[in-house]
Amino acid sequence: MPTERDFQISPIVPESVMHNTKALSNLQNLTASIFGAAAGILGLESYSGFLFYFVFTVLTTVLFYAIRVAPTSLKSGHGLLDTSRFFRTQYEFWFGGVFGGLAGYILTWTLFYGLVRA
Amino acid sequence: MTWLSKSTTAFGLILLAHACYSAHEHSALQSHRVASLTSLGTSQSGTATSLPIDITIETIIATFIICLGLVSGTSRLRPIQWRVWAGQIEREGEAGFLNSSGEVEKDYVGNPFRLLESRPGFVDIRKQRKEFAEWVKNQ
Repeated sequence: MPTERDFQISPIVPESVMHNTKALSNLQNLTASIFGAAAGILGLESYSGFLFYFVFTVLTTVLFYAIRVAPTSLKSGHGLLDTSRFFRTQYEFWFGGVFGGLAGYILTWTLFYGLVRA
Repeated sequence: MTWLSKSTTAFGLILLAHACYSAHEHSALQSHRVASLTSLGTSQSGTATSLPIDITIETIIATFIICLGLVSGTSRLRPIQWRVWAGQIEREGEAGFLNSSGEVEKDYVGNPFRLLESRPGFVDIRKQRKEFAEWVKNQ
């Protein structure tokens, strides 16, 4: 964990942090609604619905890593699955969106479940 | 680049809408069949209410395609460390901060050391005077 002195030596740009976090959370919220629609169409119930959400959220994050993070991050000498070039903590990148999008997911899941099963 | 991601997303949404319609029709058909069979008085059991496999596959593929389209439509990330970020601006300039449609992003601030570089104390006034003198001589 970097201390305050580390930040004085290598300062962080708050605008970039905000920009990256916003890009990721926008994507997570949008995809969570889409996953809800898909789960409703499939008619998933209880645990399988949540499992579906987690699997697809992790898939989205991995896709995001592969398309947006990896090309520049690997070139500049970061290790595989290391997001420290663009995000402050690893946890924020890999798990931050899982709980942010859950509410939207359940909303559209129940909506489409009710719509499809007339 | 932007049209590619947008058309991918649109294609996925069409597939998803089609799957939704199919699933709705399937469930409507099932309930109709069950109702007609019970009105006939036949003891009918074991109606398959699970979704047909093709609708399931279509839904999952549509979700994946939408996901791919949305991810490729996100804006480019920026380095958070000041030295990396400023270095990128210095090396690439505006070319490093284009959005997906090829325009410079709106919140691009430019060189963060611009103020220092144009400070009067750092202006080489003798050099400027020499250049001005040569320019006058050539007129």
